[in-house]
Amino acid sequence: MTAPFSNSQVLTPADFALITQGADVHGLSRPSQSYWQDAWARLKKNRRAIVSLWLIVGLLAFALLGPLLWQIDPARQDIDQISQAPGAERSASIVAPYEFWGGEALSGFDNGTGLRLGAQANSQAVRLLWEAAPDADGFRLYRNIFPVDGGLAFGLPIAEFPNSLAGFYEDRLDLRPDTYFYSLVTLDAQGALTTEYQTLEVPVHRVITVDEVRTRALVSAAAELAVGNEVFLALHPLGTDYLGRDMLSRLMAGARVSLFIGIVAPFLFVLLGVAYGATAGFLGGRVDQLMMRFADFVVALPFLLFMILFQVVFGIGPGESGIVPMLVALVVLSWPSTARLVRGQILQIRQEAYISASRLLGARSSYLVWRHMIPNTMGVILVTLTFAVPSAIFTEAFLSFIGMGVAPPTASWGSMSNEGLATMLTHPHELIFPALLISITVLAFNLLGDGLRDALDARMRSFE
Amino acid sequence: MKTPISTEDSFVRSAGKQLAVYALIAVAALVVLMYALHFAAGLTITGAGGVVGAVDVENNEITIYLREEPPQMNSMLATDTVSGMVLGHVMEGLLRYDDNDQIVPAMAERWEINGTRATFWIRDTARWSNGDPVTAQDFEFAWKTALDPATGSQYSFILYPIKNAEAVNTGQMPVDSLAVRALDARTLEVELEQPTAYFDKLVSFATYLPVQEKSFSAANGRYGADADEMLYNGPFVMTSWVHGASMRMEKNPYYWDAERIRLDAINAAYITSDSNTLLNLYKDGRIVSVDLTAEMLEGAMQQRWQLDRFMDGGVFFIDFNHRAERITSNLNLRKALLLAQDGNELVDRVIKLPGYLPAKSLFPVWLQGVEKTFREEYPAPEAPYNVQLAREYLEKAKQELGLTEIPPLVLLSDVSPVATISGQYYQEVFKRNLGLDIIIDAQIFRQRLAKMDSGDFDLVLNGWGPDYNDPLTFADLFASWNLNNRGKYNNPALDALVRTAQTSTDTKTRMDAFGAIQRILHEDAAFIGNYERGRVYATHPQLKGLLRRVFGAESDYTGAYIDASN
Repeated sequence: MTAPFSNSQVLTPADFALITQGADVHGLSRPSQSYWQDAWARLKKNRRAIVSLWLIVGLLAFALLGPLLWQIDPARQDIDQISQAPGAERSASIVAPYEFWGGEALSGFDNGTGLRLGAQANSQAVRLLWEAAPDADGFRLYRNIFPVDGGLAFGLPIAEFPNSLAGFYEDRLDLRPDTYFYSLVTLDAQGALTTEYQTLEVPVHRVITVDEVRTRALVSAAAELAVGNEVFLALHPLGTDYLGRDMLSRLMAGARVSLFIGIVAPFLFVLLGVAYGATAGFLGGRVDQLMMRFADFVVALPFLLFMILFQVVFGIGPGESGIVPMLVALVVLSWPSTARLVRGQILQIRQEAYISASRLLGARSSYLVWRHMIPNTMGVILVTLTFAVPSAIFTEAFLSFIGMGVAPPTASWGSMSNEGLATMLTHPHELIFPALLISITVLAFNLLGDGLRDALDARMRSFE
Repeated sequence: MKTPISTEDSFVRSAGKQLAVYALIAVAALVVLMYALHFAAGLTITGAGGVVGAVDVENNEITIYLREEPPQMNSMLATDTVSGMVLGHVMEGLLRYDDNDQIVPAMAERWEINGTRATFWIRDTARWSNGDPVTAQDFEFAWKTALDPATGSQYSFILYPIKNAEAVNTGQMPVDSLAVRALDARTLEVELEQPTAYFDKLVSFATYLPVQEKSFSAANGRYGADADEMLYNGPFVMTSWVHGASMRMEKNPYYWDAERIRLDAINAAYITSDSNTLLNLYKDGRIVSVDLTAEMLEGAMQQRWQLDRFMDGGVFFIDFNHRAERITSNLNLRKALLLAQDGNELVDRVIKLPGYLPAKSLFPVWLQGVEKTFREEYPAPEAPYNVQLAREYLEKAKQELGLTEIPPLVLLSDVSPVATISGQYYQEVFKRNLGLDIIIDAQIFRQRLAKMDSGDFDLVLNGWGPDYNDPLTFADLFASWNLNNRGKYNNPALDALVRTAQTSTDTKTRMDAFGAIQRILHEDAAFIGNYERGRVYATHPQLKGLLRRVFGAESDYTGAYIDASN
């Protein structure tokens, strides 16, 4: 009440004139702010929370708008590009369809001795020729990814020829556009390796047949295709997984699953918790005791066991998505913490003088709850909600990781992490991308929750 | 309401600094934790008796791993491969497979199979690990006990070629009526139900191993439950068995062919089947050999490991549910599925392990035919990948079934990595090429078998490992009476051919029957071949003579030795 007046000012008769109704008594120096405006202003000052908020908005856009822009089926397998790293070379030249090879050298490859190529080496097949040696005990053919440098480390044993009668081999095993080093090692009578070997460096080019180009729709239907033309394989900005499925579209599909569980489940169980906690707190006494002991009982129930039970009850056979039972289990088992929190708040608010005043003025119970109590616990509820989201997302990721969540071929970040784990050392991108997204999402929701708590609870306001 | 710029700036700076400090502390804590755990892990291993190297040149010992803990060492009850592997080292049957998969004398120094009569003469030098001689009665006792319904052996059917065996096993005849007689301590005479061309190959199987009655009764129901609860007659004796942890086998001084054995002891110090754990154990020089998965190959090449491969003999295929109430009993639907997939693609592009071969037939490539291999003499019928034709078959199937849409098909599968990847591969292939929805039902092995028994599937990723070196071990898989025919395929023509192969002793007649079975199965699209399994493994450079093969102990260290020169 002191603001408009200055102590040093000398009073004049005009100061004692009657104030007309409607004049600005308080003389507000700042615009009036509601609780929410105030909270929003405080939140805006928290740079971490705002960055997190934008991250969450971005994630939602990634999950919901992303698939509209990147319309690739997340279950589609691109067998030509299995476990492809992001930004890998995509060009391939067109060749004739694969034909059985009986070991005869093609023109241009029909002279030479020792281990040599019998045809142009490409990703369809590497055809190798050598002299059959009926008097030798046998050969073993190896393939390596670097030159053989002493020792007997020749790389992968591709084939064995115990009687040395064969003089050719066609390798079709997982050929990538790379340089391979083939070694033909002579065996002794016991079938053991000797130190005698010949080696051949084979650069492999990626090829594709006209049929494959057509069925994979790599070029427009009208385009003319001839052997020798260059085409580009399907684009995978974030690479592919172990079955050649597009990582970007799988991450988007996974984001939908994660965010669905992460937002719907907390929303539902917080709602349930608020209703339950408010009832218990408002009624108080014996009912409160009973209700809260039941909540304690629910807390003691093991989540994983219930998850499995719900899967059985829902008749979710193996091979069907476990998302609905997961949602139910989360809702049914996670509400007590919110209920406790809200009940505590309500018990406290119940004692406030303005409640007694309102009651005296004839307010009904529902009015008291809806008008006074719930709005006053809103801060607590919102904070619980934002902290519940990351934990729900994490639960989903964990359950999918152990194979209790989505069914193949549906992707979820957790199941993708599990699949990526096997190829962690050779193709790290299959693990890093989903793991990174889980981390970012969980961190963003946590930081936002932190910021909200600071912003909504004036008493707990931090002074950073 | 504007906040002064300067505070904003300092706020941002402080927040950034704080985050950086957080990150730094987190990383530092992680590093400290990792080192602490690593140190603690080292302590526990040393606590368990010191770090043992893979190859101990001084004591002439090696350290290996077991994929899982064997349920027991009772050869009459053994069903799993790990039991088979250990039994292959500590026990020996009448005959055994040599390094080239040929049958050679073992406990029996010679044998004779004459029509329905087989006679085995046991060698004088055959001894149990307590010095007692191995007698014909020991074999008679073991076989009769294995067939006794009270024993409940799951592999008793392998003894059925012996006369009255089936009747004894089903309780219709007393155990003593089994036609196995020890004429004296050194001579065992067996009467067969019908001429059985492959009986010599059967007797090397684990269920045919001898058991001394005295030690069996002395164990008082615990025979084979512990290292000291049984007698051994093989190259090694088990000296300790810490259940769930380790097993130790030492050279058997009483073994008749002790010169063949060059190792003094084999330590099975680790029991795990986790491929990454095993890879780390091998990298650390704790075990002598390790199997590699496709993801490990690149790393193995970079480590300059010497890699080897072999085919373990198993054939894997998609089995259909042939029960009449299932839509997979429709031939055209099966043909559509068969033609809509390319077996080479699965092996070359998806599984990517050298040693795997596309399974073009139920009969794997290594089976022996009349002169050459079976598959050279009876080439597998081709089923070329042809989506166009597959779709035509699918249309026909829809008409015959009176369906406008084929309902989703349930593909039952194991939980192993290769089964998982194959299942997901086929799921997409059938969706893309035929528009069919496939639901993958992944179950552990035992549960998968139970579901197959109850017919609760449309397609199943199935596999079969051979029991003995004869095409019959595969051929009778689709016989109507075979309990392993869980898809209930029923074709009287095929049954008749299996009977012919079982009873005939003429190689050519039998091979012709197998050739005809191969053709019938293809014409009926009875299954979709996936792959013949191979394994790629790395071995310690100082270990030589490790044998990995289809029959006998797998892996077989009996002929292994340490070459310290490397």
